[in-house]
Order: sequence, then C-alpha cells, then structure tokens
Amino acid sequence: MKVRAIDIGGAIGAVALLALAPVLGNSGYLTGVLTLCVIYAIWAASWDFMSGLTGRENFGHALFIGAGAYTAGFLATVYFANPWWSLPLSVVVAMAFAVIVGFPTLRLRGPYFALAMLSAAAIMQRLMLIFWEQTGGEEGLYGLEPLINSPLHYYWFVLAVMVVTAAVLMLLARSHWGLILRAIKGDEATCQAAGINVTFYKIASLMISAAFAGLGGALYAHYQLQVSPPLFSVITSITIIIMVYVGGMGSIWGPVLGAILLTLLTEMLRGFGEYRLWIYTLVLMLILFFLPGGLVAPLWRRLTGARS
Amino acid sequence: MLQILVYGAVISAIYAMLSVGFTLIFGVARILNLAHGSFYALGAYAAYFLTSVAGLPLLPSAVLAVLFVAGFGVAMERFLVRPLRKSQLAVLMITLAVSLAVEQALLITFGSEYRNVPSFVADKVTVVGVDISGQRLLALVVSVLVLLGLWLFIQRTRLGAAILAISQDPEAARYMGIPTDRIFSTVMAISAGTAALAGVLVAPFLTVQPSMGLLPMVKAFAIVIVGGLGSIPGSIVASLMLGYSETIVAYLISSSWTELVSLVAIVVTLIIRPAGLFGRRAAF
Repeated sequence: MKVRAIDIGGAIGAVALLALAPVLGNSGYLTGVLTLCVIYAIWAASWDFMSGLTGRENFGHALFIGAGAYTAGFLATVYFANPWWSLPLSVVVAMAFAVIVGFPTLRLRGPYFALAMLSAAAIMQRLMLIFWEQTGGEEGLYGLEPLINSPLHYYWFVLAVMVVTAAVLMLLARSHWGLILRAIKGDEATCQAAGINVTFYKIASLMISAAFAGLGGALYAHYQLQVSPPLFSVITSITIIIMVYVGGMGSIWGPVLGAILLTLLTEMLRGFGEYRLWIYTLVLMLILFFLPGGLVAPLWRRLTGARS
Repeated sequence: MLQILVYGAVISAIYAMLSVGFTLIFGVARILNLAHGSFYALGAYAAYFLTSVAGLPLLPSAVLAVLFVAGFGVAMERFLVRPLRKSQLAVLMITLAVSLAVEQALLITFGSEYRNVPSFVADKVTVVGVDISGQRLLALVVSVLVLLGLWLFIQRTRLGAAILAISQDPEAARYMGIPTDRIFSTVMAISAGTAALAGVLVAPFLTVQPSMGLLPMVKAFAIVIVGGLGSIPGSIVASLMLGYSETIVAYLISSSWTELVSLVAIVVTLIIRPAGLFGRRAAF
C-alpha cells in the first residue's frame, strides 16, 4: 500500500479536529470524553499491531493495561514517586508481563495464545481482589496525582502520545518488520522454512504491543486518579477487540478511529445503562456476520478510491 | 489428610464434568467454546429460577435446567457458530460474545447479588471419618456416574463410534457417510448439558452470581491444556491433578493461592510438554 496525499491529508485533518474539538465545544465534559477516546485509541492501536498483523488474537490485552495502570497506582500510593515515573516504569512492567505470557504460548501455533492471555488477565483480576490488603481490593488504589493539572493540556498531551504511538506503529507495520509479521499471519511454516525466527518476531511484537498498552494504562490511571480491578476484566479486552474489528483489522489507523467512534457512541448510550454491553455485543455479532473486514478502514478506502 | 482426600475428590469430579465437555466439542468440531463457562452459570441460574421462583420440586427442576441449557448450546452452535466455522478466530469471537451476552442477561434479570439454591440432600454424611455435606457427596457420585455413562456411550454405541471417527479424521468420516453436522449438534448438547449439570450440582454450596462462569472456564481450560486438547482421558487425569493440588494448596497455605495453581499449571505444561499429558499433536 502506498501512502497517498489524501491519506496524509485525512490524518492531519482528523488530528486537527480532535485537537480543536474541546476548544470549540468549550466544555469540560467533552474534554474528559475525548481524553478517554484517545486513551482507548492507544490501546486499540497497540492491540492491532500484534494481533492484527500476525493474526494471533490477544484476548487479554487488559493484562497489559492493568499492569501499567497498577504500576502507576503503586508508585503513587506506596512509593509516593513523582507521577512522571509512571510512564517509563509502566512500560517496563507491561513488557515483562508480555515476556512471561508470550514465551510459553507464542512458541506454539493455534489457540494457546488467545486462551492463555484470557486466563492470565482473569487470574490477575482475581489476585487484585484476593490480595486486597496491598491492592485495595474492590475499591482499588486512590490518590494518584494528575500528570498535568489542566484537563485540556492533559488531553493535548495524551493526544500527542496517541499520534506518536500510531505513527510509530504504522511505520513499523510498513517496514520490513511489518512485512514479516504479515507473512507469519499468512503461513508460519513457510516463514520458518525461509529462515525467519518466527518466535522472536512474535514475542518482540507482543512486547511492543504491551509497552504501548501499559503506557496507555498509566495515562488512564493518571486521568481517573484511581485504579481498580475491572481494568483487568474480560470486558476491557473485548471492548478493545470490538473497536479494532469496527475499525478494520491490520491497518492501525482504522482501529484508532474505531476506538474514538465507539467511545463516543458509548457516551451517547450512557442513558441505556446496563444495556450498553448488549449493544456492544450486538455490534460485534453484526460485524462478524456482515462486515468481516470492518467498517471504518474499508469505507475510507472506498470513498477515496484506493486499491488495497 | 482424609479431608483433603474427600474434598479434593469432589472438586476434581466437578472439574472433570466441566473440562470433558470443553475438550469434547473441541476434539470433535474444533470449536474452542469460550461460552462454556456460561453454560455452567446458566445451569445454576436455571436451577435457581425453577426451584425458588417457579417453585418446582428439585429433581424436575434439575432435569429441566440441564435440558434447557443443552438446547441453548445446540441453538448457539447451529445459528451463531456454524456460519462462521471457516475462521477459528471468528468462532472464538462469537462464543466470547455469547458468554458476555449471557452474563449481562443474568445480571439484568437477576441482579448482581448472590442467590441460593436449596440442597438436594440436607443431611451431613460421614465418609471415612470425614464430615461432608450430602450435597457435595451427591455432586461427586452423580459426576462419576455421568462420566462413566459418557465413556460407555462413546465406546459402545454407534453414535459414539461416529463421534470418535469425526475426531480422528473429519473428512474421512464424512466420506463414510457420517452426518457431521448432526453429530456436532449432538456433541454440543452433551457438552452444554454436562456443564449445566455441574452448575446445578454445585449451586447449593457455591455462590450463584452472574460472573460465576468465568473462573471455572479458566480452570477447564487449564485442565484441557494439561491433559491435552481434545483428549477425554487426559482431561479426567488432569482434573484430578488440578483438583487435588488446589485442595492441598488451600489446606497448606491459604485458599487465596488456589487461583494461582491453574495458571502455574498452564505455564509449566506449555513450556515442558505443549501437547499435554495425552495430547496427540504438539501444536495445531
């Protein structure tokens, strides 16, 4: 796929719109919602980098998100560290989790990885409740400090992180590295026969994916100013997967837009309360049946007349 | 010591019921069913609804609950899973979507508070010097009988032979004139039914709440990994191993640590012997 002027123009336009929206809307509520949108966009992009490219679907991305967020939480409530330490350390912790889970499961083909990630995240959620004396249990950890005091400035900071994340991941995806990951999706055995160290590429890309997810987790923790066990839940993981599906798997920018659209949709559906997740699952089922390629990325390609 | 022996047996039996169904539908139809835990939860809730709300006697409610969930499983396979069977990822997604939908439906209908189901047997029983509630003992006996029945069914009947044939080579089985789609439905019914029965049996002594299905499914998955994906004897042996290790850990250290046992079991198995104890192939 070649980068066309219209794609770059579209991206700049979208980022400019996102940056200006809270100023034009002039409401604190909108700034908050958009911050959440952008954090979800980071998570969706990082999920897509590993799973969208290699086709190894990660059903426990929440593991890395929770690991990053709780790292920020512990740093703030136990060590009283400067909040800026959260960002590098949560990246390190999330990458460590990626190695621990990835090494035994990614050497294998088949469903092991998906299920192991699902289980690991579910068990971490339980452990957060079981060791409530350290983790605050159901309530979680409170009293994190914001990284930047002004919500609008924090939003711009998170937006900048998101743009950098998406740009780095897209550059990687278009490089030699991304080509190998796509080849692994196509035929793992052939890649191995061609002398590619498939396991190395899979684990390394999971680490990159985890690093950005953990970073997003820390940003989220310093936005909510608290962390709690639902961060590790299956629902967190599946929400991200649905966002990626809506956006169109494997394109990175599609999932980013998918995440923003669905988070806005979630806010609009807030009135439906507990039925919200139903609507989500329904969206997922409809997409699986009728739009296996996703919605956002294919639509843009068709509108702008690109041949993929 | 004896307490570990008896309580461990009960837990192992329940795990075996759950994991045999999970591994059976994978071995036969290559469906990795992430909604398996919701069959378990649905079974428990159906028993709760029929006994406490509809006021039916215990035995008919148990039978109805199992039949209802078996029907639910068959319908799910027929209308949601079968059209997407070409892609294993789509199957994972759709079954996960079903499990979330079920959990949400239970939450909306019954609320998040814990529900109680009356015991089938109220008395306490003493077995080899250990006091155990009759319900736990009943769960053990029924599970063992059901597993034995399932074993005989698969080994001795024509339908069982067809199931085995498909699990060995689906294409060859189809050439021999075995109606694979109908067999899938049958296996799905068995798989969902046993999971529901496990839910019905434990409902009186465990908490019944909407998210109760997730952790047992994680356990079933751990067992199936240890025993070998698709192997029934493997999952029974692994159930005993996991059930007893959890009981021992609970007695020696604390019950908080039991959740870690299954995680460690998964990781160790995948590193040392990815095919599992009785698995035929290292990786699919």
